[in-house]
Parts: sequence; C-alpha cells; structure tokens
Amino acid sequence: MKNNLKVERAIKNITQEELAKQIGVTRQAINSIELNKYVPSTILALKLSQYFNKTVNELFFLEESD
Amino acid sequence: MHYICVVDLKLKCMKTKILFPNHFKRIGWFILIPSAILGILAVFDVFKFEFLGKATMFALYSDDFPGGSTVFGFVKNNISDEILGILCIIGAILVAFSKEKHEDEFIAKIRMESLVWATYINYAILIFCMLFFYSIGFLYVMIFNMFTILLFFIIRFYYLLYRSNKSMSHEK
Repeated sequence: MKNNLKVERAIKNITQEELAKQIGVTRQAINSIELNKYVPSTILALKLSQYFNKTVNELFFLEESD
Repeated sequence: MHYICVVDLKLKCMKTKILFPNHFKRIGWFILIPSAILGILAVFDVFKFEFLGKATMFALYSDDFPGGSTVFGFVKNNISDEILGILCIIGAILVAFSKEKHEDEFIAKIRMESLVWATYINYAILIFCMLFFYSIGFLYVMIFNMFTILLFFIIRFYYLLYRSNKSMSHEK
C-alpha cells in the first residue's frame, strides 16, 4: 500500500511531530506510515482522512503486490 | 450523502487493559537490576541471604538427592534463590509490559513482533542447548531459560524502538 501523506503534510505545511500530536499517535507511527513501513489501522486512516479533509482513497492506494 | 461526525481527532490512546501503567516500568527496573545481579551470584553459589538461614517450606514435591523425596510435606531450604527468582520475574514483567509514555497502535505492533521474535530465539537457543549441554550443565541452562524469554523480548523491543527513533532523525 502506498500513500501521499507526505505530500498532504507538505500542502498543509505541518511537521510529522505536529500531525502526530493532532491525531494522537507517536511521531514514529506517522514516520513509518510515510516510509511505507507500517499500514495504519482503519481507525487511524479515518482520523487522517478527517484531518486532511480527504477521503481515505485519496490518501492511501493499493499497489500491485497488495 | 456523507456525514462527517465531529469527533475529537485524537486517537483515544489504544485502550489496552493488559499492560501496566507507564510508571511501573521504572519500578520494574529498580526491582530487576539488583535481583538479577544477586540472582546470578546465587546460581553460582557465590551469594545467599545468610540471615534467612534455612526456612521450613511446604513442598508439593521435593527430591532430595541422595536422600528420599518429599511429597506434600515440609522441607528445610534457604529461600534466597526463591526470593531472587520471583523478584527477577516480577521486575522483568513490569519492564516488559508497562505502557510506553505514549502508547499507540504502532508501538503495539512493535511489541507484538518483538514477543514473537523473542519466543523463536528463546526456543532456538533452548534446542541448541538440549543438544550440547548435559546433566548439571543442562540444569544451569534451564535455570537461565526461565528468564531469557523476557530478557530477549525487552532487548528486541527497545532495539526496535531505538531503530524507529533513529530512522526519524533525518526526516523533518
């Protein structure tokens, strides 16, 4: 699974730290999601979608290998 | 039609009931470190609480080689190693299973993976020792093996936390 969290974060001009604080997770979690090392839970994905005001499909995409 | 419910964005810190509160971790270290050091000395007969003398303890079963065995009876025993062993386990459990300051689903995943990893490593080492240690040598292996699964877990868990912290330092 891929995501464009980093892009969305850049558009909003917000750091990983700040985003993590807003959503209520660790900065490691945000960092690992951006590096495609961690697939967030549905709850976390929905929280992110709400924060960026985008649908989950606009933030996360399936890959060939999924 | 699509409703966006206005809820607090913050993830309500994963409601894990099976972990101890964060401040128990520090208590765990205070118990674990001294009792582990004294425990290792006790295993090799370098140390025991002499003042405890020999206490009369209830035993479900005790095999007093070369004397007979006791079933559902009382035995005399210096309980230094029992006390140290129990303290080691309590300390290690508190260190291993207290929440991090900020516990979230990512930390939970690291914890779970570390536990699986520790179990594999622990039993791989045990299998190796079964083949290469015998008699009293194997008894020593068994004594340490009682604690190593927790030890491997603690090492692996903190290593993975450290690594994920480090991979972050060059990200903005």
